[in-house]
Amino acid sequence: MQYAVELEELGQQITEASRFLEKAEEQLSRRIIGQKEVIQRVFIALLVNGHILLEGVPGLAKTLIIRTFAAAMNLKFQRIQFTPDMLPADLIGTMIYNPKDMEFYPRKGPVFANVILADEINRSPAKVQSALLEAMQEHQVTIGNQTFPLQEPFMVLATQNPIEHEGTYLLPEAQVDRFMMKVLVDYPSYDEELEIMLQSATTASDREISAVVQPDDIAKARGLIDRIYVDPRVQRYIVDLVVATRNPARFGMESLEAMIEYGASPRASIFLLLASKAHAFLQKRPYITPEDVKAIAYDTLRHRIRPGYEAEADNIRSDDIIRQILQHVQVP
Amino acid sequence: MLLLFAPLAQLAAAEGPLYQGVRVTVVPDTVLVGDRIRCVIAVQHGEREVASLEGLDPASRPRFELISLQRVSSMLSASGSGKERFELDLALFGSGRQLLPPFTVILRDSEGRMTRKVVYSAPISVFVKALTDSTMRELRPIKPQEKPSIPFFLIFPLIVTVFGTAVVVLGLLFLIKRAVRKSAEKVNPGQVAQRKLRKLRSKLTAGMPPPECYEELSNIMRSFLENHYRIRALEAVTQEIERDLKKLGVGGFESIMSLLKQADLVKFAGRRPDIEESRNSLQKAEEVIRSARPAEE
Repeated sequence: MQYAVELEELGQQITEASRFLEKAEEQLSRRIIGQKEVIQRVFIALLVNGHILLEGVPGLAKTLIIRTFAAAMNLKFQRIQFTPDMLPADLIGTMIYNPKDMEFYPRKGPVFANVILADEINRSPAKVQSALLEAMQEHQVTIGNQTFPLQEPFMVLATQNPIEHEGTYLLPEAQVDRFMMKVLVDYPSYDEELEIMLQSATTASDREISAVVQPDDIAKARGLIDRIYVDPRVQRYIVDLVVATRNPARFGMESLEAMIEYGASPRASIFLLLASKAHAFLQKRPYITPEDVKAIAYDTLRHRIRPGYEAEADNIRSDDIIRQILQHVQVP
Repeated sequence: MLLLFAPLAQLAAAEGPLYQGVRVTVVPDTVLVGDRIRCVIAVQHGEREVASLEGLDPASRPRFELISLQRVSSMLSASGSGKERFELDLALFGSGRQLLPPFTVILRDSEGRMTRKVVYSAPISVFVKALTDSTMRELRPIKPQEKPSIPFFLIFPLIVTVFGTAVVVLGLLFLIKRAVRKSAEKVNPGQVAQRKLRKLRSKLTAGMPPPECYEELSNIMRSFLENHYRIRALEAVTQEIERDLKKLGVGGFESIMSLLKQADLVKFAGRRPDIEESRNSLQKAEEVIRSARPAEE
C-alpha cells in the first residue's frame, strides 16, 4: 500500500518531537498519582496555545498538577488566588510613583509568567475576571500608557469551584467561551488514593522535579501540529458535532431541541480541531481520526452548551447532551 | 285545565238567617303531592253587609296547607246586594281523591258586628298523585331531571363486546409485530454483507477508485458488525468498536480490526492503496464475514 510520503516523514518528526512530553510525563508521575486525563489535557492546551478551566471539589491536587507541570516544563509559574476584594491592578500590575525622580514606573503583576494558575477564578468580581480573560485573548497587558507583551508560551489554568458553592460569581458565557477546554477533575480511584496517602503522609519535603524541556521544544511541537493532516471527512465531522449542539433536529435529535438553550459557538469548531490535532500529536500520529475528535469533544464542548429549562428540570447536564450528540452524529 | 263548578255550596252549618249563596271553582283537578291548587270563592251577601273568609279548619291541616288567602274583588249591585271574590292557594298532601276542606264565611254589618258565621263544605274533590312517600310533609323540592338509566342486562353485552374487540385487536397487533420481527430476523446480516461485497468487487473491477472502495468496505463492515453482534458501529469510532468486540470475545477479532484500521488509514491519512491490495482486502472481508459466529449472549 502506498503511503503519503509527507505524512510518513511528518510521523517520524512527530515521534522525535514528542519525546519531551514523555520526559515531562515521567517527572509528573513522580509527584502526581492518577489524573492522567487531566495531565493529557494540560499538554494539549500547552501545545495549541489554549487555556483550561478546571473544575472540581477542593483537595484533588489541581494546584499540585499545575505547579509540577510548570516545573517539569521549565516554565515560570504564578499562582494567583482570586478573592472577592481583588482589583485588576492586583493581577496585571500598576504604575508606581517614585519620589526620587518624581516619575511613575510600571510594576508588573503576577500575570507576567508562562503558566498562571488562577485559583478559584469565580470568587473574584467580573472586572478582575475580564482583565485576566483579556490578557488570555490578546497575550498582552496595558499598564498606564504602556503595552507589555506576555511571555510565550502563555497559558492560564483557572480553577473553579462548582457554582453551587457559596460566595462564587458565575463566569459570563462570553468569557467561559475563551477557555479552550473545561476539564472536570474527578476523585482518584481506590488504589490511586491508597498510593497518594502512602506517598504524601510523610514529613519529608516533596520529591524534586527536574526541568526536562528545552525552550524551543514547545515551539517546534507547535510547528508540527500545524502540519498534521485533517481529512475533509474529519473536518465535516467536527462541524457536524458543533452544529448539532445548535440544531440537533438537523441530525435527527428532535428531542434535544428543547434541552438546549444555546449551543456551541464557531470558536468551538476551531478549538475542537486544534485540540484534536494536539491529541493526534500525543498519539504520535500525523493525521486526525474521529477518535481524536471524540476523545476531546466533552472537554471542548461542555462549557459551551447551556442546558435549557427542561434539561435542568430533568437533571440533564451538558455532558449528557454531548453524549447523545456523539451517539447520533454519524462517524465518517 | 278543568274547571269544577259547584252550583251551590251545600250548607253544612249556619248561624243566623240564610243568605244568597256561595260559588266555588278549583283548578286544577289533578295534582302531584305538594303541588298547589287555586280555589276561587264567590260570596253573595245582603245590603250593608261585608263578607270575609277565615283560614282553614285545623282538622284539615295534614292534607291541606293554606299558602295565601286574599280578597280579589268586591262589588255592589243596583238592588243593594253585594258580591265578593276570594282566592285561596292551597298546597295538597296525602294521596288519592281529596275532598276540599270546609271553610268559614263571616258576614258583618256596617258597624263591624258579626251578623252571620257560616261553615261550608264544597262537594269538590282534587285527585293527588302520590309519587313519593304519602307521609311527606314538605313542599316538593325541584329535582334535576334524571338521566334514563340503561339496564345492566343491556350494558353487560356491550362491555363484553368492547373488551372482546380490544383483546382481538391487541392480539392481532402482537401477532403482526412478531411476524415482522421474525421476517426481519430471517435476513442474515452476513448474507447481506456478502452480497454487498460482491457488488463492490465488480465495481472495483469496473474502475472504481480504490480509496472509494475502502470507504464503502468500511461501511459494509460496520453495518455487518452492528447487525450481527448488536453493537453500535455506524456512529462509533474504530477504537470504540475494538473495545466492544473485545468485550464480546469475537472470533477473528484481529482480522476485523486490521480491515477497519486499513480503511481508516485510507480515509483519514490519505493513503492510496492499489487495486490488488483493495481486492485482497475485499477477499479478507468476505472470509471474516463467512467465518463469523453469532456473539455469545
